[in-house]
Amino acid sequence: MRRSSEPLFWSLFSAGGMLTALLMPALILVTGFLAPAEWVEYERLEALVTNPLGRLVIFAVAFLTFFHWAHRFRHVLVEMGLRRFGLPIAVVCYVAALAGSAWAGVVALG
Amino acid sequence: MAAPYPRQRSNTWYLANWPYRLFMLRELSAVFLALYTVLLLLLVTKVHAGPAAFAGYVHTLQSPLLIAVHVVVMAFALLHSVTWFQAVPKGLPIRRGEEPVPPQLVIGANYVLLLAVTVIVVVIVRV
Amino acid sequence: MTNIPTAEQTVTLEIARYRPGVDQRPTLQRYDVPYREEWVVLDALNYLKDRVDGSLSYRWSCRMGICGSCGMMVNGTAKLTCAAFLRDYLPGPIRIEPLSNFPVERDLVIVLDDFMEKLTAIKPWIIRDAEQPIEQGEYRQTPAQLADFKQYSMCINCMLCYAACPVYQHEEQFLGPAVLALAQRYNHDSRDQGNADRYELIWSDEGIWDCTFVGECSTVCPKHVDPAGAIQQAKVESTIGWFRSFIAPFGRR
Repeated sequence: MRRSSEPLFWSLFSAGGMLTALLMPALILVTGFLAPAEWVEYERLEALVTNPLGRLVIFAVAFLTFFHWAHRFRHVLVEMGLRRFGLPIAVVCYVAALAGSAWAGVVALG
Repeated sequence: MAAPYPRQRSNTWYLANWPYRLFMLRELSAVFLALYTVLLLLLVTKVHAGPAAFAGYVHTLQSPLLIAVHVVVMAFALLHSVTWFQAVPKGLPIRRGEEPVPPQLVIGANYVLLLAVTVIVVVIVRV
Repeated sequence: MTNIPTAEQTVTLEIARYRPGVDQRPTLQRYDVPYREEWVVLDALNYLKDRVDGSLSYRWSCRMGICGSCGMMVNGTAKLTCAAFLRDYLPGPIRIEPLSNFPVERDLVIVLDDFMEKLTAIKPWIIRDAEQPIEQGEYRQTPAQLADFKQYSMCINCMLCYAACPVYQHEEQFLGPAVLALAQRYNHDSRDQGNADRYELIWSDEGIWDCTFVGECSTVCPKHVDPAGAIQQAKVESTIGWFRSFIAPFGRR
């Protein structure tokens, strides 16, 4: 019996799950609520997104969140009764995550 | 021999009871996290584009629609955090000798970490 | 039995009936049974079978949560009927159906061949490369080594976890909660040397990887085995093994 290649995707899913569980509430607080409240200054954000570590964090968050999404969404669709389309669903989800990550790379580099 | 009644499957099984509904909401949290990531990347793009572009985006963020979107996104993000923390001790149980470390302790440590990360992020952005 | 039904309190049961070769599909049949505070659903079924309708078919044996044969859906939730008290379902009616996700042999009796095949497939016994001679004594184990698998050894094969698992509902190939928990039970046993054998099956696509951690298997488990946790741990182990196979492709698995 062939060993599943799922560990690759599952480890990305898990890493993304852990990172988003710890970090997303804070990011949403800042960009979704504090920014529209004009509590966040442009100069500070500009310094953060041009900082090499800042760029890396932005890319890592996007990359892992997209692959976290791809894995979960793929299994949700399968469990909603689309199991016979399992393979195309998987391909579309992971390719979408890859495309999103590529975009994130371009954005992070600025 | 007469045939047994075949096993049944339902494509709406996740509506059947609250544990299943919560499971589905938990899984769909990933959709909202990905959606938010797109908004985050848009914000980063605007910051790179300069103060005027950023100010315009802040104005967009002030629209009731986007505030509502962020409220929903925050709700799903918190659902994800809570359910993820509950799952951590399931996958990585810790034992000290014969005695398991209580899962509540591991879960609690995760909440402490979440709080610390949130404070650090806010401090970095503002202070 | 000294309980003779009189004009006393009764509770209504809606019981799924299916006669193979006669019925197209299961139908619910209503019965009134006397209500006794100390009765479980299985007591009510036994009352019906003895006094009212001898044609009612269901499995049961020990009446004390050990044999694992009286599992049914009670109001849609997988339960051992010997542990489901009528008093917890008042005022009724109480719906009794065969375990979900299995074919129905008759009435409340399910076909359990699929489970039995999977159970033997993961080799739920201690595998040794070579048995140690009797003169050397028993295989010794520290309390910590015992604690590593004891919880999973509590499984009574009642299959409630399969009835609660939507993943098994949609993918019959999926090995399922109890079998995967039992695989962990033997893989984590310090006396066992059969990990590589079992990994081949449980690390395949039909093994742990269909599980999406719905978690209901652990909720319905009457023995607190926590199959959901077992599968999560197996995923972690499989992932470590997968990455390690790149570092040392020719090493021991």
